[in-house]
Amino acid sequence: MKIVVCIKQVPATTDAKIDPVTKRIIREGVKAELNPFDTYAVEEAVKLRKRFGGEVVTLSMGPPSAVNSLRETVSVGADKAILLSDRALGGSDTWATSYALSKAIDKIGDVDLVLCGKQAVDGDTAQVGPGIAAHLNWMQATYVNSVDDVTEKSLKVKRMHEDGYDICELQLPAVITVVKGINIPRVPTLRGRLASEGEEIPTWSATDIGADPEKIGLMASPTRVVKTNPPPARQSSTIKINGSPEKCAKDLVRELRLRSIL
Amino acid sequence: MPFLLEKGIIILINIIGGTMEHHIQNKIYHVEILPPKQAVTIEKLHEGLKRFAAKYNRVMEDGRCACITDNAMGLLAFQGTEVIEELKLKVNPEQVMIHLNTFHTKENLDEILNSCISLGIKYLLVISGDGSDRLPKLQPSDVGAVGVEAVTSVELTQYILREYPGKFVIGVAFNPYEPAEHEFEKLDRKIAAGSTFIVTQPIIEQNAVIDQMLKDYPNMPTIVEAWMSKKLSLLSDAVGYEIPEDTIFDPITTLGKLHELYPNCGVYLSLLGFKYQINKIEGLWK
Repeated sequence: MKIVVCIKQVPATTDAKIDPVTKRIIREGVKAELNPFDTYAVEEAVKLRKRFGGEVVTLSMGPPSAVNSLRETVSVGADKAILLSDRALGGSDTWATSYALSKAIDKIGDVDLVLCGKQAVDGDTAQVGPGIAAHLNWMQATYVNSVDDVTEKSLKVKRMHEDGYDICELQLPAVITVVKGINIPRVPTLRGRLASEGEEIPTWSATDIGADPEKIGLMASPTRVVKTNPPPARQSSTIKINGSPEKCAKDLVRELRLRSIL
Repeated sequence: MPFLLEKGIIILINIIGGTMEHHIQNKIYHVEILPPKQAVTIEKLHEGLKRFAAKYNRVMEDGRCACITDNAMGLLAFQGTEVIEELKLKVNPEQVMIHLNTFHTKENLDEILNSCISLGIKYLLVISGDGSDRLPKLQPSDVGAVGVEAVTSVELTQYILREYPGKFVIGVAFNPYEPAEHEFEKLDRKIAAGSTFIVTQPIIEQNAVIDQMLKDYPNMPTIVEAWMSKKLSLLSDAVGYEIPEDTIFDPITTLGKLHELYPNCGVYLSLLGFKYQINKIEGLWK
């Protein structure tokens, strides 16, 4: 099974700032990290390869510094990594980005499965995975929290939604986006991290992937950000728990569980 | 058995039942060292490894005990054992203590323990630890714990002593800032699980809860943690109340006072400055 995992390098902050003029996230001077949701996609790919054999290729579109996040994926088990980086791709929105990634996936060739995190924590759109599927005209499932019954031609997934989950069967090749409950991503080992430094990570340009210049970059991006607002501050509240010590303890545990603290 | 340090000092070790008592008798400081963090560039990682090696070697040369943290504060870092292996650092079993918390996979936990055994590391400080989204949590079934909903230092201690008999000397944490009744109850369970020494949370003055603990557990070797950062406000989270950022704090003077207050305890130095402070602690423990 040949699996491509699309990953993104995102600002390592929960306090992202927006450029008031360009309406884009300010990335200069902010530490970067691998999008946390993508770590689950990488882990799932590595697990699938362990079970069914094959190859895991990680792919990222971004600035040259995104190579650091790609190296991280190699250090936790990806077989190789490819960076898609070109000024011509700058300013791409999710539609143009997913087009460029789909062209890179085409170039990689013979791909059975594309995995993405459910969304990137900077843009929070959750559109790139579905966009890739649309450009490739492949089946897709989003918000997946388990992958089962994998054969050469199909797999079954559990797709989460507000009211529960669906079990879907997808014909391969397919695209799935995963949620964080799907696995526990391994933490890179020092040996893996140091070894990944020796890994050659090729950089592909827009020309390399045969991208149509009319379909990439800012001019090819139909999204226009007209206004941005910081999200409203999270409401904090105090709950008073009454009753006997046993009941209070029980209720407290319940409240903590509801908030996924326990 | 005699313990020969590199500087040629011979210290007679009195290992009674595999405890830490001799570290206290011989005035061996426990010096905290943080392994390099995960989320850094390769250049920073190499710098971090170099710094780690320098600190570790200094602690070894000084005849002290290097205490290596395990994803302290839930921040992802490399494991102490893998750093020691990768850098091929010399391990004197009497001079290394590894922190081990409950945020690991079973596979990873056993890897760490097996690495400790092959490196000759026997001292473990077993703690529940701080988690994060990126850290897996041991499940009760991983450590064969029955009738509990979560793995704490108690279950982890039991697992280690059961699966690796005779290989490790285990210490546990004592937090004087938690409700005392609850903390003493936990300490009883930790000791019943097989822990043989105690390391406290950082203190900067006499602490009534620690005094009570020393009275209640007179035979338990206890190491008090001395806060060595000048930034006392960083302790706010541990003590549970806000310490103003501009609080003036002299760690070296405080360390001297702690020795006077707790003459029968060992001392763990957290966030010790290796540039200036390390030379100033020489001779402080009389």
